[in-house]
Amino acid sequence: MTAADALYVYGVVPGDTTPDLFAGVDGMADGPVRLVGADGVAAIASSVPLTEFDTDALEQNLKDGEWLEQKVRAHNRVLAAAVGKATVLPLRFGAIYTGEDHVRTMLGERSELEQQLARLEGLLEFGVKAVLDPGVLRARLAESRGGAADEGSGRAYMLRKQLERELDREVRSFAARCAEASHECLSAAAVEARANPAQAPEVAGGEMVLNGAYLVGSGRQAGLRRAVDELKARYGEDGVTYELTGPWPPYNFADEEPAA
Amino acid sequence: MSTPANSRSRELMRSSGGGGAQLADVLERVLDKGIVIAGDIQVNLLDIELLTIRLRLLVASADKAREMGIDWWEGDPFLGRGQKHGEVEDRLKRLERAAGIDGDSGSDDRG
Repeated sequence: MTAADALYVYGVVPGDTTPDLFAGVDGMADGPVRLVGADGVAAIASSVPLTEFDTDALEQNLKDGEWLEQKVRAHNRVLAAAVGKATVLPLRFGAIYTGEDHVRTMLGERSELEQQLARLEGLLEFGVKAVLDPGVLRARLAESRGGAADEGSGRAYMLRKQLERELDREVRSFAARCAEASHECLSAAAVEARANPAQAPEVAGGEMVLNGAYLVGSGRQAGLRRAVDELKARYGEDGVTYELTGPWPPYNFADEEPAA
Repeated sequence: MSTPANSRSRELMRSSGGGGAQLADVLERVLDKGIVIAGDIQVNLLDIELLTIRLRLLVASADKAREMGIDWWEGDPFLGRGQKHGEVEDRLKRLERAAGIDGDSGSDDRG
């Protein structure tokens, strides 16, 4: 075999996008990140060695956490280089072609790519995660109920148990209310919104009540920031912290069917 | 290099969407979101599905959130209505068996 390389495709941009956006950006492998264009759209691509990316090698490499982290970060890094400068339509990890001709054929067969790009024009994705420290909330709830029962007696023990159960219930109901209200408040500042599954406590550093993604006009970021500040003011004392991330390539909004 | 005009967005990306982003945030986006287009060289779809499920087990604490009254992912193919953590793990095991990668051993024994 002479072809030792394949082309990894990160995403799609409008055909008139300058390849300069990706100059100096490190991709999946050593080669430069370039644009492969056809009919008004262009694929963001770079060469990858078949020794790492042919079907058998991939199958092995996907099981290697370190390899995967490196490649997934590279995928994001390349797309992030265009965010705010060109409309980017992110592809999911793993679109690999044998050559430019095949990439052009794929682009030519998919007229919806251009529609999706038009739909996402001028819009940016932001993430907002809300994490609850249940200890803070419990202390606050317990305090608002007045002093603790007398220590020692059996009756006091029963009362304490009952209080614990009630606090559990109140924490759950607060988390649900807070999640819903937060998503609603943030969605009002966005064109589109998604609520994704919560991340595990080990990852989140607490109970994640909201893992949201928000699509916002590039001139309207201040509105989303204000919404986050408003929520911090509303729920901060209850032990909820908010983290705003982005702008991201619009991963969460790439797959939407265009309006009929 | 960076002109004053775009230094602000660079600043934002450094703090989040760029290199400093948390791995869980990047993984859930790059592996689980974005348009799916099949290439010439087939990434083993079963592998990606397994990865995605493992990833969800890692990043999604379904039972915890349900306990807390949050059940947004009813439309989700894996963590759908009524599915519990254990059921996702069962599905993972079934897929692993189908893929011939029983557990973590590389044995060909398919029992």
